[in-house]
Amino acid sequence: MLPLSLLKTAQSHPMLVELKNGETYNGHLVSCDSWMNINLRDVICTSKDGDRFWRMPECYIRGSTIKYLRIPDEVIDMVKEDAQAKSRNRAEMNKNRGGNSSQNQNQRAPRSGNRNNFGVRSGPSGGGLGNGGMRGGNAGQGNRPPAQGNKLRK
Amino acid sequence: MSGLESYINHTVSIITADGRNFIGTLKGFDQTINIIIDECHERVFSTTSGIEQIVLGLHIIRGDNIAVIGLIDDTIDSRLDLANIRGEPLGPVVH
Repeated sequence: MLPLSLLKTAQSHPMLVELKNGETYNGHLVSCDSWMNINLRDVICTSKDGDRFWRMPECYIRGSTIKYLRIPDEVIDMVKEDAQAKSRNRAEMNKNRGGNSSQNQNQRAPRSGNRNNFGVRSGPSGGGLGNGGMRGGNAGQGNRPPAQGNKLRK
Repeated sequence: MSGLESYINHTVSIITADGRNFIGTLKGFDQTINIIIDECHERVFSTTSGIEQIVLGLHIIRGDNIAVIGLIDDTIDSRLDLANIRGEPLGPVVH
């Protein structure tokens, strides 16, 4: 189990975060990323010596400043459920991929259809949104050369 | 394969850069040696009284802060008489 998956599972749970400088932050985990940067809500910050406290509605902590995180015991069991659900999904995907059924072909058909649509939109018409903007500009000043129109757009 | 893989689900002792000693079950780690340690307790050494154990629970310890990870032999560890072991606490890592 990866530490960052456990941390992700701990979202919305209360936790204690100790920083390298000895300060501790108690709060509910709102979000985290792959650098261990974290967002906490309803935070109580305690100074290194433990005799000063600050309350704050939220805070953001850079991952590299963290020493450790203390997490409720039950969270580790919830990660297991996540991992099991994921491996179940993966098994089902593999089953579908391996089969040589007509269902499989149906899955592929819409995807190639989408790709064609995308090609049409960005190809011959010269880029959907940008083109629309240029047309609007030209409507106001009909004698403007196309090159200037392009510059304006940028 | 990282040498830590074989420690998974075993009792380990972690010595951190600030000189603390955490004991618990290693549940996971990643490439930066961030670790998950379950049923974690801290052993506080003192020269005047026995080793004090503080129960902490589930921890993620950031790799930056880890100095040593050692495998603990549970049978030997359970024979220790912590109340009668004295020792200087470790100091922090000096950079």
